[in-house]
Amino acid sequence: MIGDSRDSPLVRLDGISVRYGDRRVLDSVDLSIARGERIALIGPNGAGKSTLLRVASGLLRPTIGRADLDGSSVETLERIEIARRLAVVPQQATLPFATRVEEVVALGRLPHEHPLRGPRASDRAAIAAAIERVGVGHLLGRDARELSLGERQLVLIALAVAQATPLLVLDEPTVHLDLRHQVGTMELLVDLNERDGTTILAVLHDLGLAAHFFPRLVLLDAGRVVADGPPHEVLGPDRIREVFGVDPALVRLRD
Amino acid sequence: MATRGESLGATQLALARTGALRGRPLLVVGGGLVALALALVLGVGFGSVAIEPADTVAILAQRLLGLDLGREWTAATETIVMDLRLPRVLTAMVVGLGLAVAGATFQGLLRNPLADPYVLGTASGAALGAAIAVLIPVRAVFLEFGLLHGFAFVGALVSVYTVYRLSRSSGLAPLTSLLLTGYAVGSLLAAGLAMAMYLSGAALRQIFSYLLGSFDAASWVRLGGALPIVLGASLAILLRARALNGLLLGEETAANLGVDVSRERAILLALASLATAAAVAISGLIGFVGLVVPHVVRLVVGPSARLVLPVSALGGAALLAYADLAARMLGEIPVGVVTAVIGAPFFLLLLRRARAGYEL
Amino acid sequence: MDASPRPLRVILSSILAFVVAACSGAATDPTVSPSPSPAPSATPAVSPATGPTASPAPAFPVTIVDDEGTSVDIPCEPRRIVSLTPATTEILFAIGAGDRVVATTDFDDYPPEAVELPDVASFTSVDVEQIVGLEADLVIAGGNNFNDPEAIARLRSLGVPVVVTYAADVEGVLRDIELVGSSVGRRDQARDLVASMRAGFDQVARATRDRERPRVFYELDATSEIYTAADDSFIEEMIDLAGGDPITTGSTTSFSISLERLIDADPELILLGDAAYGVTPDQVAQRSGWAVMTAVHDGRIEPVDDVVITRPGPRLVEGLRQLAGAIHPDVDLPSPVPVP
Repeated sequence: MIGDSRDSPLVRLDGISVRYGDRRVLDSVDLSIARGERIALIGPNGAGKSTLLRVASGLLRPTIGRADLDGSSVETLERIEIARRLAVVPQQATLPFATRVEEVVALGRLPHEHPLRGPRASDRAAIAAAIERVGVGHLLGRDARELSLGERQLVLIALAVAQATPLLVLDEPTVHLDLRHQVGTMELLVDLNERDGTTILAVLHDLGLAAHFFPRLVLLDAGRVVADGPPHEVLGPDRIREVFGVDPALVRLRD
Repeated sequence: MATRGESLGATQLALARTGALRGRPLLVVGGGLVALALALVLGVGFGSVAIEPADTVAILAQRLLGLDLGREWTAATETIVMDLRLPRVLTAMVVGLGLAVAGATFQGLLRNPLADPYVLGTASGAALGAAIAVLIPVRAVFLEFGLLHGFAFVGALVSVYTVYRLSRSSGLAPLTSLLLTGYAVGSLLAAGLAMAMYLSGAALRQIFSYLLGSFDAASWVRLGGALPIVLGASLAILLRARALNGLLLGEETAANLGVDVSRERAILLALASLATAAAVAISGLIGFVGLVVPHVVRLVVGPSARLVLPVSALGGAALLAYADLAARMLGEIPVGVVTAVIGAPFFLLLLRRARAGYEL
Repeated sequence: MDASPRPLRVILSSILAFVVAACSGAATDPTVSPSPSPAPSATPAVSPATGPTASPAPAFPVTIVDDEGTSVDIPCEPRRIVSLTPATTEILFAIGAGDRVVATTDFDDYPPEAVELPDVASFTSVDVEQIVGLEADLVIAGGNNFNDPEAIARLRSLGVPVVVTYAADVEGVLRDIELVGSSVGRRDQARDLVASMRAGFDQVARATRDRERPRVFYELDATSEIYTAADDSFIEEMIDLAGGDPITTGSTTSFSISLERLIDADPELILLGDAAYGVTPDQVAQRSGWAVMTAVHDGRIEPVDDVVITRPGPRLVEGLRQLAGAIHPDVDLPSPVPVP
């Protein structure tokens, strides 16, 4: 049923299991994301976080279970329909040709632009708005391949913003960034969520960033959802020791 | 970090400004058409028989436009202009168009600036097909298409198909697998070609002239056979420009932007291979056009396929028409040599400027 | 009674008039006989009263079946002939059609008048445009990839009659001479030429018939690999006719022979077909491994003119005589039958 009621969750994962042979990458994962939420997906390496994102975006079909996007099963949606509901910020992607920053951002309009004629005026406006919103206007005209990692990350976020979807998904967006850019990216995400109402789902490895900037954390371990709630609940010292195997004192949380 | 001070209007203005040259596709296309028209006139005006330019123009005007410019000429002159030179120049344009579009497509599809239309074994397949056709002591001619054209066409398509199927069974990423399989299959076919050439005896010269590529045998009938395939495939690729653009940042990003990646990959591969196969079937293996033209075009109009494809089509057509003219003026050297002389230095320049940022 | 044959005659004369008008390039006057007899022969030299082979049949239009089996229609006597092989050029001049040749290849070398003619072909290519520009009405080309087959096809598609000749043996050469003769309206002259060539061949055969046949190695080239006559090849036949025992490569398709095999064959006479490229008997004698051959030991290494021996044209008799003279130096060959 294609419902667009404000009450139904934007993303619903029901009993998702993904198996590769004997290996259980995801095991009976239930997750519900309402509109306007800001969620960080955390867990140790190999917990299945990226796989979960792939299932939610329809790139991976689960062995068991069902993924719904805005009321419709992901399996029934065309790729382009998914692209209008969900934007994934690309990871470190390489460009084979010299491409200007605005041309990279323009790719975000692919699901919306006219298939033959290309970007319309509304698309161009969305591109300009995204560039402005993310704050990369000073990089216009530059070859995206020559940007620093932090600048490139922002451009890719601008691409996803230009896609103008209700849901924005990021997979470890701060991995190569220095602290200043990490914080800046987080602040941008908060801004997009609070001012524009964009639902955000981000995979993060930095527990401190996750706890500080995200009101809801989902903790994955060995393919299972171990905890789901506000940071102080999810990241208790016992849990940290049990799931991550480190001294909880190493993880500084701010309330 | 976020420059909140900038107004949206200022950003849009800045966008418009930086896109100035790139946003004037009409100028570029217009320039391309002028270059083509000039290539046509020069190409038809020059040959081993001296014909007065006024006569050439008069013949063209009369036969193509029905205008009588009040000049007289012999039947032989008209045959030379209309049946020898005109189809030759037009064939060079069609082949150049097909190779450039195919090259741009392969480069976008494989995300590799060093890709050309022959990268997945088309050249070796076509050459081996042609060599086998020359060796077979059967002379079959349908319209003006001999065994050589048919086998070259089929050979090109069969080798690409083989590469595609074999690459799918590899565990590597699809693009890497395609390229490596293309290399392997291409080498195998080249070995077959070497063997065929060794056994060919007196026919070696025929095989060799096919390998170098030439427009000596161009005719209206052959053009009529290849043109619909080349133009049709090129147009079909242009209609899928959106998918090609989506692939710029990689296959996963393309999928997230709404591109049905495996389907588009198969379709674009098939279309680009069709255009290449038709081109090499009638003209032999002419190199560098498919590699060099898209890059020059990108420097001018940017990487968007919606512009790169049509402008490359024009650029490829013009380049090959001029290359053929130069080949004839320099004394019947093979046109593949001219394109190599132009293309190889450019290729080296490309390598020097290439960044580590491309996948192989 | 009178009315019925008249329409038939009108139709026939119209057809004839059409045919003659189509051949308006010919220098003959377009007399049209009202009777349904064939059109007057376009060859001014042939008069029915003279010559042993007075043939009343018209020379043109004619359909020639060339050596590749292609039927070539030649509507009227060719006045602007293009020859794409040196042998054809020699034949054309020998049968008296030389004044009608308008172009040849750039490697034609005989007769001297032919060398000055415009060149429309090289080893590698044929200039179709120039041939059309010269308004050629007949092209004679070489088969077996001697001339580019694509160019031949191109010319035919443009309406230029192309006759392809290819002689794999001596008999083939004689046939080609007649073929060329029929194509250009000099059939009788061609037949005469062939007859005198046969006489020349017979003469040599008779002179060398009862003699011992020495083992002959004919060197085509030895700069890298050694090239000589293949099995069932032209050169093999020529040496055989000249009274020699030819050493061949052992294969019908390969022209190269290993030094081992050559030494094993032990030639008694070495003929240098590559003499024109500067190869001398002294050089040959000094080649390592060659000293063991009887020919080298006896000093029987002779330069020969490769052109007359291998060119499939009118001078083949001269070539045969040269071969016979080298193989059997003591044989007395009476002066040759005059060749035009």
